[in-house]
Amino acid sequence: MPAEKKLKFKLIDIVLLTLITAALVYIVYRIKVTIRYDWSWEIIPKYLFRFDKGKSRFVASTITLGFTMTIKLSIWGIILGTIIGLIMGILRVQSGLFARFAGRAYVELIRNIPPIVLVFIFYFFFSSQLLDHLGIEDAITTAGPGLKRFISIIFIEPKLLNEFFSAALSIALYEGAYITEIVRSGIESIPKGQWEAAHAIGLSRFSQFRHIILPQALKNVLPPLSGQFISTIKDSAIVSVISVPELSFQGMQVMASTYATFETWIVITLLYFMLTFSCSVIFGKLLRKMQTAD
Amino acid sequence: MHNKTLGETIIAVDSVSKTFDRNVKALQGVSLKVKQKEVVVIIGPSGSGKSTLLRCLNGLEETDSGAIVIDDTPLNEHHRNKLKIRTEVGMVFQNFNLFPHMTVRENIRTGPRFVRKASLEEADRTTEDLLARVGLTDKIESYPRQLSGGQQQRVAIARALAMNPLIMLFDEPTSALDPEMVGEVLEVMKNLAIEGMTMVVVTHEIGFAREVGDRIIFMDEGKIVEENSVENFFANPEKERTKLFLSKILENGGCE
Ligand SMILES: Nc1ncnc2c1ncn2[C@@H]1O[C@H](COP(=O)(O)OP(=O)(O)OP(=O)(O)O)[C@@H](O)[C@H]1O
Ligand SMILES: [Mg+2]
Repeated sequence: MPAEKKLKFKLIDIVLLTLITAALVYIVYRIKVTIRYDWSWEIIPKYLFRFDKGKSRFVASTITLGFTMTIKLSIWGIILGTIIGLIMGILRVQSGLFARFAGRAYVELIRNIPPIVLVFIFYFFFSSQLLDHLGIEDAITTAGPGLKRFISIIFIEPKLLNEFFSAALSIALYEGAYITEIVRSGIESIPKGQWEAAHAIGLSRFSQFRHIILPQALKNVLPPLSGQFISTIKDSAIVSVISVPELSFQGMQVMASTYATFETWIVITLLYFMLTFSCSVIFGKLLRKMQTAD
Repeated sequence: MHNKTLGETIIAVDSVSKTFDRNVKALQGVSLKVKQKEVVVIIGPSGSGKSTLLRCLNGLEETDSGAIVIDDTPLNEHHRNKLKIRTEVGMVFQNFNLFPHMTVRENIRTGPRFVRKASLEEADRTTEDLLARVGLTDKIESYPRQLSGGQQQRVAIARALAMNPLIMLFDEPTSALDPEMVGEVLEVMKNLAIEGMTMVVVTHEIGFAREVGDRIIFMDEGKIVEENSVENFFANPEKERTKLFLSKILENGGCE
């Protein structure tokens, strides 16, 4: 451990603090005096939880439902994106010409179109065509209540399944491209000598990869990978454009029906922040634990 | 080792050439025969093709032309042959190249486990025997980074031996080591030679070459310049270039 620099309160801190305070005062002033914003925080709680008379208990309401939807989307996006990224990242370092090209083409394609376009393409061209043809929708409508409930818990209510799949898949494809590059650079960071030593003890190409290279590469990529996971949570907001009721979309709904613009977005901001920040704290702890473990 | 009987030819290299990047001629028509139990020491200036020759012998590098036959198996396109040769030829590298994510035990048993398909108990037994042989029994659960350079190289030797190879290749096994650790590694190699292992060793350790080597090969510019018995090589070398090289390394105290 290098000796830690002692932190002191310096001139730059005073300047920064003054600037930030001034900016805050100005914003509050503008809202209060110039646009005479009428704060009405009291309407927010019922969009978080509402009392269900039928069940005679509190149930999640608009914003909370959006919050859990964002979590579900992120989890599916991360799982699928990691699978895609792992496969494509491995393809990227193969000596086979086509394998390498396929990996490269995928990454370049995704990175060079705006994510919002990707979401639309997926929704209109692939999903609406593909899912219909696979007959998933029909299967769901005839499904029993147990299955329907299960689907609602791990995905979404059956009638929005199309939107959910398009959303999760486009998030996965988008994040997958970045994860591909993370995996590739992780593999390429392993010194050539490791391949050679593995070759010299007779391991097959697959075993060299599986037992020697991949474990080291994956350990190296955990920090950037966890950063990408956190990005996924933020990036998931983009699927609001296809009306998946995730946090941002629900925010827009609440804003439209209450006109409580500031209150709504402050709440939404805090919820996103809570989610990403707690994830980065958890990932940070896990990483440190893994590093000290060996 | 001058009082052992050598066996049949086990390595036969016939006019092998290898060119890198179109014009770097690393090997130019190298021919060489090594007998069972023989210890051949290769020396030569930097860039003369010593490593390339070793790497061709276990298929780490493909040759452009010429033939290599190891234990009657030609090293050619056939995947089966390549694999057989890789498992019969062990290699020890200058930089050890231990697997940093594995303990010493796992480093050594990986080959037997995944190539020989040995059971865990069997592989562990081999590992323990080999560690005793290189004098590192107490380090079995250590990670490579917890070991000194000399210890790491001894583990690397044990790892190669775990595949029960017919031939061991050493590419400057002591040149990355601090001087005080050179001895322990050479000692292990010497014992291996005494037990009758066929060895091809690239080294500038003159003492080792004199004591353990059966034959010395001097390479320069991708060719074998001189091939001689140990006594003659140092006492009265045949070629001018050999003399020049020897005078240089002897005045530097045996190291490049
Ligand atoms: N992978 C490679 N790509 C391009 N050129 C190479 C490669 N490996 C070796 N060479 C070149 O081939 C020649 C022989 O290299 P080699 O490593 O066999 O020499 P060496 O005798 O082992 O030298 P040293 O004593 O420095 O280890 C050198 O000119 C080297 O630059
Ligand atoms: Mg070399």
